[in-house]
Amino acid sequence: MNRRLVTLSLVFVVLALVVAPAAMAQEAGHDAAPAKSLGQFLGAAFAIGIAAAFGALGQGRAISAACEAMGRNPGGGGAIRITMIIGLALIESLVIYALIIAFMILFG
Amino acid sequence: MHHEYSFLFKPVNALLIAILGEPGEKYLRAMGAQPGEVFWLPDHVIMAMLAVALLAAVLIPLSRRLSVERPSNLQQMVEMIVLGLEDLLEDVIGPGIGKQFLPFIAALALFIFTCNIFGLFFFLQPPTAKTSTTFALSITAFIFYNVIGIRKQGFKHYLKHFMGPVPALAWLMFPIEVISHVARILSLAFRLFGNILGEHTATGIFMVLVPFVVPWPMMALGIFGALLQAFIFIMLTMAYLQGAVVAEEH
Repeated sequence: MNRRLVTLSLVFVVLALVVAPAAMAQEAGHDAAPAKSLGQFLGAAFAIGIAAAFGALGQGRAISAACEAMGRNPGGGGAIRITMIIGLALIESLVIYALIIAFMILFG
Repeated sequence: MHHEYSFLFKPVNALLIAILGEPGEKYLRAMGAQPGEVFWLPDHVIMAMLAVALLAAVLIPLSRRLSVERPSNLQQMVEMIVLGLEDLLEDVIGPGIGKQFLPFIAALALFIFTCNIFGLFFFLQPPTAKTSTTFALSITAFIFYNVIGIRKQGFKHYLKHFMGPVPALAWLMFPIEVISHVARILSLAFRLFGNILGEHTATGIFMVLVPFVVPWPMMALGIFGALLQAFIFIMLTMAYLQGAVVAEEH
């Protein structure tokens, strides 16, 4: 019963993964919207580019501090790891705000 | 950006139109329908209902078959999740007070994770990729922690927290605190929305470009991101709860 359940779920997952591209690739994009201007492309590109650059810098500092703390205090590894993950997600959310603005510039 | 629909969108709406007739102009405009589209329930509502139905279908029969001596595998897994959340609550909010919020936090966590993971299936759409769902979640969390704070500390004492440490600066602190609290609604909603929409869109683009093998790392990132975003949402809700519940010691 256990092995059958595992096999069945694996088969389902493989099927889902294999059929997914075929189903999705049929919907090719069709934009029937007013032409996009150069300003839109440049604005969106710079928005996400600058946000990603500074976001990566900030996250790099957070991870390096966390690694150093874990090295100095191996016992506190669990708490440091969770704090690092939360900090990374909060920094990343600022980059996501910039991505949303880029989408709004490009597509709306 | 073109919108895709889940496999339930057309059947459910066809059924509702057959039962209730077509909706009027005003209803369609309020629902944000493009000219030409006719539906009773938008896609993300149907998907959210499906998430709730799935969770109920898995968890309610489990709750009837709980056993201490011989727990089933599903029971052990759910116990792991629930006890983990309880430990987290006690850790973040406080040793005695954390446990009472477990139903709300666990419901939020399971619902958000299920909604996020819908993005990985080709016949489903993640409801959290629309601002409607994420704003509903964040406004619910906001109302929840404020009501809990008011209930625990009384209305006037709760408002005193907004005044800040020094009474002389209360006129300055109050608007700043109110704005920062309202900004929490926006930040919770947009963080969840942006992450899930971004992953969904990026996976979709990869699938259009190279349909085989290459989307798999993006989908793995999607699974991790779905879990992480649900975790971050409840972590922040717990932090706000702690701010509202843990009193004074001024």
